[in-house]
Amino acid sequence: MATREIISTGNELAAIAAVDAGCMFFGGYPLTPSSEVMHVVSDLLPAVGGVAIQMEDEIGGICAVIGAAMVGQRALTATSGPGMSLKAEQLGLAQMAEVPLVCVNVMRGGPSTGLPTRVSQGDILQSKNPSHGDYKSITFCAGNLAECYTEVVRAFNTADRFMQPVIVLLDETIGHMHGKAILPTVEDVKAGIVPRKQFDGPAEEYFPYQCEHDEPAVLNKMYTGYRYHFTGLHHDKNGFPTEEIETCRKLIQRLEDKVALHEDELESYEEFMMDDAEIMIVAYGSVSLAAKEAIRHLRAEGIKAGLFRPITIWPSPAKKIKEYTDKIEKVVVVELNIGQFHSEVQRAAARLDIDGLFKVNGRALSPHEIVAKVKEL
Amino acid sequence: MSDTKTLMRFTGVGGQGVLLAGEIFAAAKIKSGGHGLKTATYTSQVRGGPTVVDIQLDDEEIYYPYANDGEIGFMLSVAEMSYVLFKDGVQPGGTIVVDPNLVHPTDADRKKWKIYEIPIITIAKEEVGNVITQSVVALAIANTMMNAIDKTTLIDTMLSKVPAKVHEVNKIAYELGEKYAKEAMANG
Repeated sequence: MATREIISTGNELAAIAAVDAGCMFFGGYPLTPSSEVMHVVSDLLPAVGGVAIQMEDEIGGICAVIGAAMVGQRALTATSGPGMSLKAEQLGLAQMAEVPLVCVNVMRGGPSTGLPTRVSQGDILQSKNPSHGDYKSITFCAGNLAECYTEVVRAFNTADRFMQPVIVLLDETIGHMHGKAILPTVEDVKAGIVPRKQFDGPAEEYFPYQCEHDEPAVLNKMYTGYRYHFTGLHHDKNGFPTEEIETCRKLIQRLEDKVALHEDELESYEEFMMDDAEIMIVAYGSVSLAAKEAIRHLRAEGIKAGLFRPITIWPSPAKKIKEYTDKIEKVVVVELNIGQFHSEVQRAAARLDIDGLFKVNGRALSPHEIVAKVKEL
Repeated sequence: MSDTKTLMRFTGVGGQGVLLAGEIFAAAKIKSGGHGLKTATYTSQVRGGPTVVDIQLDDEEIYYPYANDGEIGFMLSVAEMSYVLFKDGVQPGGTIVVDPNLVHPTDADRKKWKIYEIPIITIAKEEVGNVITQSVVALAIANTMMNAIDKTTLIDTMLSKVPAKVHEVNKIAYELGEKYAKEAMANG
C-alpha cells in the first residue's frame, strides 16, 4: 500500500486524521495538553466545508458533537482528563442512545486539574467506564506518532460500525512529540470509510432500536423523514421510554453484547521481540517507546525481553495476554499510573504475581528505569 | 545509546521560541534521510516557566523521545532557572552554551563541562535587529558546534518554517550565530 511521510506532532496528526476520515464537525473546549487538536481542526475543517466550534465548556463541546452525529456527520471532540470527567454524563447518553462519535483524550496528570503540562496514563480505567451504568467501552491507545493518525481513522470507522463513542487515548508525550510519521495515503483512508447503516424502507416500518441481540441501533440521519425518539432513559424499539421488564433487560444486554460478541473485530496489539522472549514487558502509549529502547539495551546484554503492547485497550486483548502469561513466568506491566492496566493483566492472566513498574510524578519512565526493573525480576 | 546519535538540549523560559529550533533540527535530519525527534517539556506557567527541548538525531530509528540524563552532548541555555534545573543532563566534558547576561555558571560547572558564553539575546536584538531571531542564532550555534546537519539543508528547513517576510533577517541571524560560535571555539 502506498504511504506518505508527515513531520508533525501527535496532536496535529490526530486532527489531520479526523478530517481525512471524513469528520465534518468538531465541538470542544481547549484543554492542555490536547489543545492543538482543536487548533488544527479549526484550520482544516472550514476548508472542507466542515465546522469547528469552541463551546462554553467541555460539556457543551460533547453535546454539540452528539447533535452533529445525530444529523449524520462524523464528529470529534478532544480533551484531557479533567474534560473527560466533565463529558462523562454525555458519553453515557451517547452509549445509551447509540450515537457514534470520537473523543480524543490526551492524558495529563490527575486527579482533578493535576499536572496540566505533564505526562500521565491515569485515565485508563476512566476510559473503561467514564459514565455510570453498563455498557462496553471501546478505547484505542496510540503508541507512536503514526498511530495518532491511524487510530483516529480506525475510531471513526469503529464508531459508525458499533454506533457508540470511541475513545482514542494519547498522552502528553505522544501528543507533543515532533517527528516523522509514515501514514497511509488520503485516498486509501477515504476508500476505507464504511458509512454507518441507514434504513431505507418505508418510514412507518422504521424502528431504530429493534435489532438483533448483538447488533447496534440503526439511527437514520435526522431530518430525512424517519422519526424516532431520542432519550437516555431505557427505551423501546422507537426510542420511547419504557419500564417493560424484558425490553429493559434486552437493551442493556445488547449494549454489552454488540461489542462483547465482536471483540475479534476490535482486537489490536503489537508484539515486539516476543518470539523468543523469556521476560514480557506490557506497556502502551509513550511508555512503550521507553520499553522498546530498554529491550534494545537488555538484548545487547543477552537478556531475552520482549514487549506486548495493547493498541485496543478496551476491550483488552485478554486472550492474547493469557496465551503469553501461561508460558512466560516473568511479566512486568510498566505504566504511568499505579497499576490501572496491571489489574487487567492480572485478571486476564488469572495470576496475582504479575509485577509492576509505576510512576505518577508527571515525568516519563526512562529506558534505564525499565532495564533496572527487569534485571530485578 | 547508539553511536550515531546526536543529543542536544535547548533550555529557556516559555515564550522565548526555543521550541522552534528543535522542530527545525528534527525536520532537517528527517529530510536528510535520517530520524529526528523533538520533545519539549514545560510547566503550566506557559509564559515564563522553565522550558526544555530535547533534540535527538540518529541514522537509526529513535524510540524513546526524551534525552537520557547524562548522555546529552550539547546544551544551550538562555535562562538561569532552566540552566540550573537541566544542566545535569549534560555528559561530563559536554558542551554548554549560555547567554552570559542571563546565565551564570559556577566554577564547578566550568570544570565539569566546556562552557562557552555567547550573548545570544543581545546579538538577536541589536545586531540582527529582531529579538525573535534568537532561536535561529541558537540553531546556528548548535549546528556549528555539533556539526549535526548539512548547513544548506538546515537553513532551507528553517526558512520553510518562518514567514517569507522574515527570511532575510533569519538568514542574517544564522550567519551571525555561526560567526560567534566559530569565534568562541577558536578562543576556547
